[in-house]
Amino acid sequence: MKDFLKQNGILILIIALLLSLITAVFSLTFGGLANPFVNLAGIVATPFRNGIHAFVTWTEGVYSDAFEREILAEELEALRQENARLQAEAREGEAASRENERLRDLLGFQQKHSELVTEPATVTAHGSSNWSSTLTISKGSANGLAAGNCVIDQYGNLVGVISEVGLNWSTLITVVDVDLEMGGLIARTDGAAIIEGDFALMSQGKLKLTYLPEGTQLLAGDTILTSGLRSGGTATYPSGLVVGYVEQMRSDDSNMNDYAILTPAAALDKLEQVFVIKSFDVVE
Amino acid sequence: MTTKDFTVKWLAYALALLPVWLMECFLLSRYPIFGVKPMLLPLAVVAVATLEGGAAGAGFGLGVGFLFDAMTPGVPGLPILLLALLGLGVGLLAQYALRQDFVGCLLCSVLALAALDALRIAFRLFTGAAPLGAMLTLAGKEIGWSLCFVPFVYPLFLWVYHRVPKATVL
Repeated sequence: MKDFLKQNGILILIIALLLSLITAVFSLTFGGLANPFVNLAGIVATPFRNGIHAFVTWTEGVYSDAFEREILAEELEALRQENARLQAEAREGEAASRENERLRDLLGFQQKHSELVTEPATVTAHGSSNWSSTLTISKGSANGLAAGNCVIDQYGNLVGVISEVGLNWSTLITVVDVDLEMGGLIARTDGAAIIEGDFALMSQGKLKLTYLPEGTQLLAGDTILTSGLRSGGTATYPSGLVVGYVEQMRSDDSNMNDYAILTPAAALDKLEQVFVIKSFDVVE
Repeated sequence: MTTKDFTVKWLAYALALLPVWLMECFLLSRYPIFGVKPMLLPLAVVAVATLEGGAAGAGFGLGVGFLFDAMTPGVPGLPILLLALLGLGVGLLAQYALRQDFVGCLLCSVLALAALDALRIAFRLFTGAAPLGAMLTLAGKEIGWSLCFVPFVYPLFLWVYHRVPKATVL
């Protein structure tokens, strides 16, 4: 055992190469399912993640109570005013909804509905890499989660898509990650486009909307929803989830194509509770 | 060095790695500065490799590579090999070309972080996933922010190094 490492540097490299290959092959074979090493590391890390998450959340709560009381009071007042406005809009909308139901009945269409089977989970860690945007949540394959499941926040805003599942944990790529691409729908115009992450925007917590329909005039604040169409990857997304809001329009380097910069609807850096959509049934 | 000494030594290094790992993965990742989070695990490999030499650095790099692979998305398995190679390279560099002290560790950290980010950039250029300018900006910020933690990571492992059995005295 004496000077083991000194005499076995090359052997260590060979072991590293073999382990690296085994890990890579397993991950490629069982895409989305964590390999045994990663799964074990995730299980071991879970108590640390949960403990530190609880401590940090408590500390942030104490800080908010002490220093952000006035801001919270202003936010509460603004929310009360918005609530009153939305209630008025909802009352106006009820009549239109009833008329829509009657017309659908007359035409023999199925009634619109959206049924999501969800699993609540806690965000226990934020990804430590600057080259991707990920979150770790507290539920895994033991709770019926699978790679490709959509994740939403408590308001129904899209947070991301699960990319890797362990026994009692999962990793999801958020909507601003460069690897995420999906069909989008401009709520105001019903125009279809592509929602995708952008490397330069990722560190600012934003994403972009590309392949805009010809002649589209987007306005700041326009809501972008998931279209339910598939665009690469293996995930299928329910339609109508709010992805984000248009912040500004830009042209690409060639000045030939316009794209919009979106601010995610979900507060990705402040998430605590999320809901994983295990299955869905949406009729439009 | 007896088997017991060997075990105690690497257990001590593993314990020293624990706060570094917790800081990187669970605390600093929540509060990015200018949108950037520091890379501490490679710094730990560099610190141990600088102090212990090439072969030991490779062994420590292999272990840390497991953690890095498990905690960071990317090409599966690659961090295990990369960090083992990094440990070996840095250890040899510190042993034969630089000094096995803080300055040597700082220089090796710059080289190691630059090498890791160069590989990331090369991979993403190959897959056409991102523009070079944006990646170089991110890499620059990431390396700069990570280097701020060398004065904390190196002394931690130096403290352990002075308290664990050694095969040779530097």
